[in-house]
Amino acid sequence: MESKVIVITSGKGGVGKTTTTANIGTALAMMGKKVVLLDTDIGLRNLDVVMGLENRIVFDIVDVVNNNCKLQQALTKDKRYEGLYLLPAAQTKEKTAVSPHQMKNLINELKKEFEFILVDCPAGIEQGFRNAIAGADEAVVVATPEISSVRDADRIIGLLEASGFREPKLIINRLRSKMAKRGDMMDIDDILDILSIELLGVVPEDEYIVVSTNRGEPAVTDTVSKAGAAYRRVARRITGQDVEIYTGEETSSLVNRFMKMVKLAR
Amino acid sequence: MATISALKKKELYIDLRKYASFADIKNGLTEKLTNISTKRGGSQVTIDIGEKKVTTKQIREIEDILLDYGLYLKELRAIGPPALANEEEIEATVFEEMPDYEDTILIRKSLRSGQKILADGNVVILGDINPGAEIVAGGNILVMGCLRGVAHAGVFGDEEAIIAAYRLIPTQIRIASHITRPPDGETIVVKTPELARIRAGKVIIEKLKI
Ligand SMILES: Nc1ncnc2c1ncn2[C@@H]1O[C@H](COP(=O)(O)OP(=O)(O)OP(=O)(O)O)[C@@H](O)[C@H]1O
Ligand SMILES: [Mg+2]
Repeated sequence: MESKVIVITSGKGGVGKTTTTANIGTALAMMGKKVVLLDTDIGLRNLDVVMGLENRIVFDIVDVVNNNCKLQQALTKDKRYEGLYLLPAAQTKEKTAVSPHQMKNLINELKKEFEFILVDCPAGIEQGFRNAIAGADEAVVVATPEISSVRDADRIIGLLEASGFREPKLIINRLRSKMAKRGDMMDIDDILDILSIELLGVVPEDEYIVVSTNRGEPAVTDTVSKAGAAYRRVARRITGQDVEIYTGEETSSLVNRFMKMVKLAR
Repeated sequence: MATISALKKKELYIDLRKYASFADIKNGLTEKLTNISTKRGGSQVTIDIGEKKVTTKQIREIEDILLDYGLYLKELRAIGPPALANEEEIEATVFEEMPDYEDTILIRKSLRSGQKILADGNVVILGDINPGAEIVAGGNILVMGCLRGVAHAGVFGDEEAIIAAYRLIPTQIRIASHITRPPDGETIVVKTPELARIRAGKVIIEKLKI
């Protein structure tokens, strides 16, 4: 079995890495894939909460690398989907409790069992980031349509490229298409202009994300949530299906194009 | 009689036909521009001086005046093609005027935030300089993409050094010991290649003519 190891990263904090990891992972499991979510945000673990699995955790990633338990014991099974597992971060340790080398070995173990290994990366560019990318072969960069987030994403893409990731892919999260259309927010083209990497998906701002986080049920399990629908599309693209990129609201592309023309003509 | 009229949103027409000498034309132009709204910055200007001859040097002078107000010369209406003052002025493009440096390095990728290039001589980049990226050169800098970050040319003190870019939207531009940045507030996006160099002790941005 060929496994895909994908790190989800951003540089800037709070832009939706954990939300993205939980949703893509769940969507892949809904498609019948065997998936493990790896939380590498040691000291600030969140993924278990977003997945609603907090109360099932016994062992964590630091226990595994220190041989306090077997890998199987630390793999927490999802409550909804067969084939979906979480390897939680330790809440009470430091980021340095795991080394990049240990991370690589751990991921090699996981590859024997899983088709998709999604690594939720902590914010920043220090050791936590180094650990998270250590065993990954692909990278997904999450950015929100804000200058600071795009700037940090650019920095991260530079670091990823320097570490041998050939084509990191981009997810734009929390897009408010109305604001972008009014020019009050960066739009998709503005972001792609600067980052010039392939777009994997666009996830709209969606209040349901907050609801789903509180309930511990990723938005992809909801049939109404727009963010959920966007993440389901992302998951299908990851499996190689050719699905169009979701751009938020209904496409009024004609109007859009006209506006662009006017702007271009100044 | 209104002698400045807005043709399109970013185009202006200035009628200077009534002035006889070139000195008067320049004074007349400056006078008209003193009250111009800053909103007009970035406009292309057509100037009509009527039945008179001008040299390329005089055209430069007019361009310089316009540039002080953030305007570009689109067309100078006069009689015939500009008379040339002397041979040397023919086709003296900016690239011939810029200082010579022995070594030039070629960078075949974009510079992303946090990346920095240092070079003793010239630097040519086949890509963008993103915000948060920096390029520092002893000589000239030529960006074949979009310059959005920081560029410093002539870092050892060469005031003749230039910075040219396919799109110049920098965070900051430095030449020798001069520093400049785009004005705060609304940014004017000019969709042509541009050039930054020092003239009269100031960093100025002008349209790149090749
Ligand atoms: N599309 C969205 N619409 C609305 N809210 C969102 C969306 N995506 C994320 N959020 C909210 O943004 C906050 C941060 O999300 P998340 O925890 O996934 O970010 P993160 O990048 O993992 O943060 P950290 O850097 O702290 O690990 C959360 O409160 C989440 O509910
Ligand atoms: Mg997180």
